Amino acid sequence: MIRTEGIHKFFGALHVLRGITLEVARGDVLVIIGPSGSGKSTFLRCINLLVRPDEGRVFIDGVQVNRPEISPEWVREQVGMVFQSFNLFTHLTALQNVTLAPIRVKKLSKDKAEAKARELLARVGLAEKAEAYPAQLSGGQQQRVAIARALAMDPKAMLFDEPTSALDPEYIREVLDVMTNLARDGMTMIVVTHEMGFASSVASRIVFMDAGLILEEGPPAEIFEHPRNERTRAFVSKILR
Amino acid sequence: MGLPAYVKRQRQAPILSPANGVRVVEMVVGGLLVISLFELALHYDIRDPNLWVRYGISFVRGFWGTLGYIALVLPVSVALGFGAGWARVSRHRLLSWPSAAYIDFFRGIPLIVAILFAFLYGVDFIPERIRFFLEDALGISASSLPYAMAALALAAHSGAYQAEIFRAGFQSIPRGQVEAAEALGLRHFQSMTSVILPQTFRLSLPPLGNELAVLIKDTSVLGAFGASELVGLASEFTQQIPISGGQLVWQFAIWTAIALTYFVMTFLVTRVLHLLERRFRTPGLEVVSL
Repeated sequence: MIRTEGIHKFFGALHVLRGITLEVARGDVLVIIGPSGSGKSTFLRCINLLVRPDEGRVFIDGVQVNRPEISPEWVREQVGMVFQSFNLFTHLTALQNVTLAPIRVKKLSKDKAEAKARELLARVGLAEKAEAYPAQLSGGQQQRVAIARALAMDPKAMLFDEPTSALDPEYIREVLDVMTNLARDGMTMIVVTHEMGFASSVASRIVFMDAGLILEEGPPAEIFEHPRNERTRAFVSKILR
Repeated sequence: MGLPAYVKRQRQAPILSPANGVRVVEMVVGGLLVISLFELALHYDIRDPNLWVRYGISFVRGFWGTLGYIALVLPVSVALGFGAGWARVSRHRLLSWPSAAYIDFFRGIPLIVAILFAFLYGVDFIPERIRFFLEDALGISASSLPYAMAALALAAHSGAYQAEIFRAGFQSIPRGQVEAAEALGLRHFQSMTSVILPQTFRLSLPPLGNELAVLIKDTSVLGAFGASELVGLASEFTQQIPISGGQLVWQFAIWTAIALTYFVMTFLVTRVLHLLERRFRTPGLEVVSL
């Protein structure tokens, strides 16, 4: 479904990604962990080309997408993204946030887009908040709207960039629940997170990244209980405590 | 959210509230009071028919002239300001650099000097063919062209200030929202029109209202060059008043009438902008207005 080969990225002299090769099968949930500054967010952004890799190839459904002939907008229709800071559009209601891209990008009629948006808002438990503006919603509610907004484009896969890191503790559960349900429904997901409970119960595989490299990869039980790499061990012991 | 309670209450007041009614009454009573004090002190009735029979036509002509200049300068300045503000935040230096130069230039020289240059030399910069077109097809007299150029200098001056207002509006849109729009597959133009501009507009309205009020009053500077608007025609008229006793009182009456006229115009414009602000108020995008 999503495959990357030898992704490198430089920010000036900084070598942020040093050759990331990964594969995520349809319906799989890949969780990426690692210390901050290890390049996790940059790697996610390389997949939907918000950041263009300097070297390497990104494939979606077998098609190499980081080629000049392929428009980044098309790639982003295939892969939805949810951000750490929600990034809802402040001037639009929850419903309008969800319908904007289907109407403007997919040219869906307003009625169809709204019907679908209400369905999605109901799915993330926010049917009654459709007319609320982001400022009137809690962090957890905003992030759930953001998930609905990404789903409205019918993506084949979803990228989550630390979706609960900016949330107050009491709101983390509701967002993780929505993500868990999404995974159960068969969505292909790549999630950067430090929520170990979520990772061990939902992830098909865990990848440990450090300094722009993948140091270890395996099923949750293996990574959390018997990490082979020394740095994985150190990191895991820190976050599991 | 973090605002003091009185600010919230004030902004939630309906348009036709008693509080607003009180303000209008205050204004009218205050105006009448000033006028009657002045009448008492000078033993003079401001409605003096001797004055208004002679000055009335001049006043009305001046008023229309002022409205005409406002009608020209206001849209041109907003267009310039918006364009320059947009260009200022562009990633392309070919756009941002000239815009920065324009803003710095007009903010750095006095308004009256900018107008002076445009008035004296502006017409020389109009290509001959366009000048003929203006004069023949549109019937604009050659003698009024310097005033049009002076008005454009005023528009450019105000445009530079408005550009900074719009620039601030653009820059206060969180970068993350632009990224989110991109991640949803919106093209640059689409995220501009659906995400960035609507928010810039809301954030820019209150400071824009202030700037437009300033602009309206600044059209009076054109009068110093003899443009036929309120101030220009009034100074022309006052110079013709016979030196005998009435002169001082008449001047006082004329300038009072003119001050009141500008006051009413700016008051109306700021009110209209407040209405717009209310109309587009969005939770999370409030700017505390004056």
